[in-house]
Amino acid sequence: MAEKKSTTKKTESKKDTKKVAPVKQEVKKQAAAPAAKPKAEEAPAKSPIDNLAKAEDARIGVFICHCGTNIAGSMDIEAVQEAAKTFPHVAYVDNYKYMCSMPGQTVIHKAIKDHKLTGVVVAACTPRLHEPTFRTATKDGGLNPFRFEMANIRDQNSWVHMHDREGSTDKAKDAIRIAVAKAALLQDLHPKAVPVEKAAMVVGAGVAGMQAALDLAAAGIKTYLIEKDMSIGGRMSQLDKTFPTLDCSQCILTPKMVDVGRSPNIELMTWSEVHEVEGYIGNFDVTIRKKARGVMTPKEAEAKGIVGGGCNGCGDCEGVCPVIKPNEFEIGMKPRKAIYVNHPQVVPLIYTIDFTSCVKCGLCVTACGPEKRAIDLEMKDEFVKVKVGTAILATGYDIFPIENKQEWGYKRYENVISSLEFERLICASGPTGGHLVRPSDGETPKRVGFVLCAGSRDNTGTGKPYCSRFCCMYSLKHAHQIIEKIPGCVPYIFYMDIRSFGKMYEEFYYRIQDEGAKFIRGRVANIIEDKATKNLHVMADDTLLDRPIDMEVDMVVLAAAIQPAADTNRTRKLFGVSCSSDGWLLEAHPKLNPCGTTTAGVFLAGVCQGPKDIPDTVASAEGAASAASIPIHMGEVELEPYFASCIPEKCAGCGMCVNLCPYSALSLVEKDGRTVMQVTEAKCKGCGTCGGFCPGGAIWMNHFTTPQIVAQIDAFLLGGEQ
Amino acid sequence: MARTKGYPEALEKKLHEQRFFREDSNPEFSKKVKTLSRTIPHMCYQCGTCTGSCPSAPRSTYRIRKFMRRVVLGLENEALTDPDLWLCTTCYSCSDRCPRDILPTDVIMTMRNLAFQRDIIPVNFLKTVTAIYASGHGVPNNDVNRAARERLGLTRDPPTTHMYPEYMPAIRKIIDHYKLKANADRIIKEREG
Ligand SMILES: Cc1cc2nc3c(=O)[nH]c(=O)nc-3n(C[C@H](O)[C@H](O)[C@H](O)COP(=O)(O)OP(=O)(O)OC[C@H]3O[C@@H](n4cnc5c(N)ncnc54)[C@H](O)[C@@H]3O)c2cc1C
Ligand code: SF4
Ligand code: SF4
Ligand code: SF4
Ligand code: SF4
Repeated sequence: MAEKKSTTKKTESKKDTKKVAPVKQEVKKQAAAPAAKPKAEEAPAKSPIDNLAKAEDARIGVFICHCGTNIAGSMDIEAVQEAAKTFPHVAYVDNYKYMCSMPGQTVIHKAIKDHKLTGVVVAACTPRLHEPTFRTATKDGGLNPFRFEMANIRDQNSWVHMHDREGSTDKAKDAIRIAVAKAALLQDLHPKAVPVEKAAMVVGAGVAGMQAALDLAAAGIKTYLIEKDMSIGGRMSQLDKTFPTLDCSQCILTPKMVDVGRSPNIELMTWSEVHEVEGYIGNFDVTIRKKARGVMTPKEAEAKGIVGGGCNGCGDCEGVCPVIKPNEFEIGMKPRKAIYVNHPQVVPLIYTIDFTSCVKCGLCVTACGPEKRAIDLEMKDEFVKVKVGTAILATGYDIFPIENKQEWGYKRYENVISSLEFERLICASGPTGGHLVRPSDGETPKRVGFVLCAGSRDNTGTGKPYCSRFCCMYSLKHAHQIIEKIPGCVPYIFYMDIRSFGKMYEEFYYRIQDEGAKFIRGRVANIIEDKATKNLHVMADDTLLDRPIDMEVDMVVLAAAIQPAADTNRTRKLFGVSCSSDGWLLEAHPKLNPCGTTTAGVFLAGVCQGPKDIPDTVASAEGAASAASIPIHMGEVELEPYFASCIPEKCAGCGMCVNLCPYSALSLVEKDGRTVMQVTEAKCKGCGTCGGFCPGGAIWMNHFTTPQIVAQIDAFLLGGEQ
Repeated sequence: MARTKGYPEALEKKLHEQRFFREDSNPEFSKKVKTLSRTIPHMCYQCGTCTGSCPSAPRSTYRIRKFMRRVVLGLENEALTDPDLWLCTTCYSCSDRCPRDILPTDVIMTMRNLAFQRDIIPVNFLKTVTAIYASGHGVPNNDVNRAARERLGLTRDPPTTHMYPEYMPAIRKIIDHYKLKANADRIIKEREG
């Protein structure tokens, strides 16, 4: 390929403008040291502008990728290449079918050496996808990896302008011209390594959070498991059996719950929530609010000098408590007291006082007795601070308030229940001892209607647009359970599609149909209650018969949609995690990084990221645990060196930037008898708020410096057609 | 039109009625219905909530879901010539409940307009036009109603054109502007002589 130093008119005009850019001039004056000789191991300079690259010395290589036909199919690579040769500072241009492939990267290595390049521009997909790849290639060629700049000519060009060959070719030329202008001014940068705290946090102790904590603990990592409820277990502990194998949910969950309670590496904090998060990957300072539970654990009692005291779970208090409230765990179908455990298998087995309903009569204190002295009616919320290296969010889901879809009569008709209520009614430890009965009269139903997609796949704004993903399968399970438990009882499943995509799921569907479940393909239009019998008329269209139907049943189960758990939004904001428009937490990449988030060091497990059944939940939890353990095992993490730096000569010490920084990374210090600003690099996220603000231009945003950005703008505005 | 396979004409016709042929599909029809109805009929996923909600369905062969399907596939002739098109009561139950947030009622109204452009319309609808032209009401007041109104303490006639016949010319002007009455008269005459 031709090497060419550009001497076109455009270069002249560009240089002129550079001179009028005051910041740039200033910086150049100070750039006394010669252009940095690219050497990877070179120590970082003391002042950010000491060893500034000089554009005059730059020799930039441009590498244009075809991405198969992704790019080459929509633009004239040859024309782009010819144009690139004429750009200032360009010393070498080449193109290749797949720049990211091994041979493609070799083209880069070789060119750096053969043509003594000082910077590399790859025109290809996106930095999100391949910036790491090409940085490594740049480094392997002998340059500092930050001497690399990418021109996005695929995602933001060939893909969008697929039918405008000329337009996309021109746009690619511009993108490369801009990238070259920046590349000519790139500096060597050196990532900072910070140590990683050898501890992790998991928020939410459903099956996802428990599995993640168990894995981390097994890998030797101290893990704080934070659960807002009184017990760990999450939704799975409310289920009776689990599809498709029909094992008893509690039986497979309880051993895990016990393991969590026993693991020396897990510090379990129930009745607690995350209050504040500070810091960054490797060093998160998390404040946890331990809500006042009114009852002390043996450990807490001992700390207060009550040796041998604390709650032992005997339940004597519960018996005497005069306050009766509906038990949320049983969805209000069973009573509880103000001091209670919501089900017998709670872990840890410590009673809890619901202070919103406690009348402070003190009867429980007497019942608990002078030895244990576990109850403290004046207990206050406590705040505990811990330091962790990484964190996993596993906050799970809630059931969508299905009464909002008024046509199905939930909360208006007694015999219309939700799927979670069904789980409790069919469960031997539930409020009816496992007998499915009609709430209106306690009779055993003989015909049960199941309404699938209740509130899911709904674009009306009342329901949820997504598929809740496990309701088809658990409705099949429910059908099986009533056939098994109630001889002669017929389940009628109203469905649009049966989504049985998992391993052994379609086989399960086959089995349930074989057992006698009746499937009616039609979404339920509405339900009408017979006021006398409290029977229900399910109105639908049997779309396969093309006939409207009015099916009289004794009971209806709504397979209600799910939504993110109540406190998810507040919690995710503390950790700087985004969510999609439906509220589920946003993964770093839906396919290639489903457990990561855009906040380094924070990961997602289970349903909080999107609806998942138990097998998928556990798999994602193990993935998140593995990902979260990597930085901890590495011992240190590299921070992108994009932090702000202060040019002390220019800083007036006004301190106005200090308050602007959203990450509290700036402070004022005394230096050589002057007050100047100082950056705590590990805290700085490189957002640029301070850099854009500083009236004296004293803040240098590494890798996004004012001269670099001005050069990019100039290249675009003054570049024009050659 | 359907592919010809050289079968006897009767068999050809029968086969055509049994199978959906691509040639019957007019994508322009789907687009036109979408534009005129200002809703999104192409998004129908055939769940049947509309037919399940429809008060007309259990009393007739009218299936709103089937009409939605015909719009999706562009089956123009099949949709516009089906006499069931005129059995919607415009109660809007389907539009209230459609989970895809489509307004099937407005789709039916659009197809009725398109059918009327081809003079496809039941005579009773045209007689309604005549009635509105004459009295301002599709269903004018009658003595039974008047007696009922009196029992309820209402005026014998409602405060409409019945009470204010001076507004009738304006109503006729609107109807004439759209040549509704002229077309109605013409078609009734053609059909009933
Ligand atoms: C009726 C029904 C039947 C089902 N049947 C089956 C089945 O048979 N088989 C199957 O595979 N799946 C089934 N599922 C799905 C199963 O429930 C989920 O896959 C599983 O519970 C997801 O676990 P999770 O840990 O992600 O969420 P969850 O179980 O919701 O756990 C989340 C935990 O986090 C806690 N938490 C929430 N927010 C916070 C916060 N801000 N701070 C601290 N803690 C918080 C919650 O209290 C809870 O303990 C069923 C679901 C339903 C509704
Ligand atoms: S608080 Fe006291 S009485 Fe209540 S369960 Fe615990 S030990 Fe027993
Ligand atoms: S899993 Fe089945 S019932 Fe649930 S929303 Fe999806 S399709 Fe509907
Ligand atoms: S309710 Fe809506 S989506 Fe369902 S079949 Fe009718 S028009 Fe289609
Ligand atoms: S508006 Fe028409 S199609 Fe819709 S439910 Fe009412 S009668 Fe049926």
